[in-house]
Amino acid sequence: MSLVLEQETPRITELVSSGGGGMPLSQTVQIAARAIIGNPLRSILTTLGVIIGVAAVIALTSLGSGATSGIQKQLEGLGTNLLTVSSGSGARGGGFGLVRGGGQQTITLDDVKALREQFSSRISGIAPTVQRNIQAKAGTNNIQATVIGSWSDYALVRNTIPEKGAFFSETDNNGRKRVAVIGYQVATDLLLSVGGKFKLSGITFNVVGILPDKGDAGFASPNTQIIVPLSTYSQRLGRQSSTADTVSSAYIQGKDKNDLKQLQTDLIDAMAKLHKKEVPDDYDFNVQNQADALSSLNQVTTILTLFLGGVAGISLLVGGIGIMNIMLVSVTERTREIGIRKALGARPRDILTQFLVESIALSVGGGLLGAAIGIGLALLAGSALNITPVIGLSSVLLAFGFSAFVGIFFGYYPASRAAKLQPVDALRYE
Amino acid sequence: MNNILELQNVIKSYYLADEEFQALKGVSLTVQRGEMVALMGPSGSGKTTLMQIIGLLDAPSEGAYQLRGRDVTTLNENERSRARNLDIGFVFQAFYLLTRQNVLENVETPMIYAGIPAKERRERAMWALERVGIADKWRNLPSQISGGQKQRVAVARALTLEPAILLADEPTGNLDSKTSIEIMSLFQALHNEGSTVIIVTHEPEIGEHCQRIVRLRDGLLESDSPNRQIRKAA
Repeated sequence: MSLVLEQETPRITELVSSGGGGMPLSQTVQIAARAIIGNPLRSILTTLGVIIGVAAVIALTSLGSGATSGIQKQLEGLGTNLLTVSSGSGARGGGFGLVRGGGQQTITLDDVKALREQFSSRISGIAPTVQRNIQAKAGTNNIQATVIGSWSDYALVRNTIPEKGAFFSETDNNGRKRVAVIGYQVATDLLLSVGGKFKLSGITFNVVGILPDKGDAGFASPNTQIIVPLSTYSQRLGRQSSTADTVSSAYIQGKDKNDLKQLQTDLIDAMAKLHKKEVPDDYDFNVQNQADALSSLNQVTTILTLFLGGVAGISLLVGGIGIMNIMLVSVTERTREIGIRKALGARPRDILTQFLVESIALSVGGGLLGAAIGIGLALLAGSALNITPVIGLSSVLLAFGFSAFVGIFFGYYPASRAAKLQPVDALRYE
Repeated sequence: MNNILELQNVIKSYYLADEEFQALKGVSLTVQRGEMVALMGPSGSGKTTLMQIIGLLDAPSEGAYQLRGRDVTTLNENERSRARNLDIGFVFQAFYLLTRQNVLENVETPMIYAGIPAKERRERAMWALERVGIADKWRNLPSQISGGQKQRVAVARALTLEPAILLADEPTGNLDSKTSIEIMSLFQALHNEGSTVIIVTHEPEIGEHCQRIVRLRDGLLESDSPNRQIRKAA
């Protein structure tokens, strides 16, 4: 043992900071990290509530917005600035873009022509449409197809531009030509290319255009559609019951997006005049706006988001209580340490910061872990449900910020209890 | 004035179940710079309470206390923390090292609270560890070293900020007799270098290492006399 006395001792008192010093944050974070890592199982269990809460929020919201944006894309794929005039009662209900089979067809071709005349300056296209399911045959192959009869404007209005060949023309329609634009799956199933022939109800049609693969878009998939000129349809394929000059709906593309709302109103007035209806309750038609469908979708999404936010809030609250609980236990367990630190010169504020940083580190760490798990879950569930999850930065930040807030809010009480301990009591604690 | 510590008529009362109990019934004590004082007495004599008041861990109920010529009875909590940090170097019976920090970090802790920059802190801590002869263990955790070594670390920790008083509460209470003597010799060496040392103990052999022996009994000073035969530890 050496007891050599060092005569020269570094002068330390000059370095003591005058403002009261205090522990630098980096040091505090280091101490907190050590306390958390020193007991990993307990730390994980402490933050389990926050982990599950954050993971649930991120997984659910990203799946939800993934599904929403999928539907939104599909709706937009149906055409831009799209208005639909369709048969139906006055009530504004009814699904958008859904196949309207039976029911009384009240829209006449004369109505459509009158509208085209009246609104020619404000619309870029109008396409009266009828449709029914017919089996299409080519040789020994066949497929159940949705056969649509329309005008050439259909290509523009419903965003159905053929990938190969071209859409039929106005002349084709006027000449009642037996030509058809076919969907991607019709072409592959019937082994058809442009110029090929197939039969609908025994009538031979020529393929003039093939549509691109639009994906399996669920209802009324464009891939199984066959579009033929309306006049040909009426003459050759129309149902016995339906009168020749009525259609199930007319799709209209507005020129100006900002005029769409007004155009919708004006179309309703024009239709009311054409049908000589004075009271909206008597209207035998609907004029729907694509934006209506989008906004009702957004409404659903907003409600869903609020609902998820509520669930998240509750789970984070529960998680926060879990953290507070363990922090209180931790303060009690570490009363001795608090006493030692106070004897060595820690101010109440130093102790407060130490425990607060620890609880924030716990909750933020739990938030990070939860975010990672949530993203993983969203990707996993997304691939199982065939949804591309949209992981929003805002939901990640929100969950993260909320968990940090939980750490501060629920960590403050235990930390202030620790800070208020009297050194003499804390040291005496067994 | 060379008085580093001056207590005048210090009373400390506790209330236990509404009944007043006086642990100190009026103690006056003056310690001069560079003295090595043993504070002795049986359990219940009030020596631990006196130690806590001297160390600013507790405040007197009545009486005056001047440390380094400054009245410390009116300090607020932050000022008391700072005074403990800079003026008192504690050495406890149970060592009281921070279990998750290694030896070097333990010694650095008071300097962290004093706001000393990292580089100086490290240098100063290594100097203190060398001073107590345990610099080679700086990387170890407290659980990896012996009791005597732990107490050396505690002494090193108490030294770093050049305190007015080294205040040791039963510093050898948890040590065997050989190690106790080693620790006492360390205190004597520090005393010889000029440090003011107060050792609270109930063991006469430990008290005999000091220059002056103050005895308490039932909350009052019983005797205060110089030690004619100082026991040399080394």
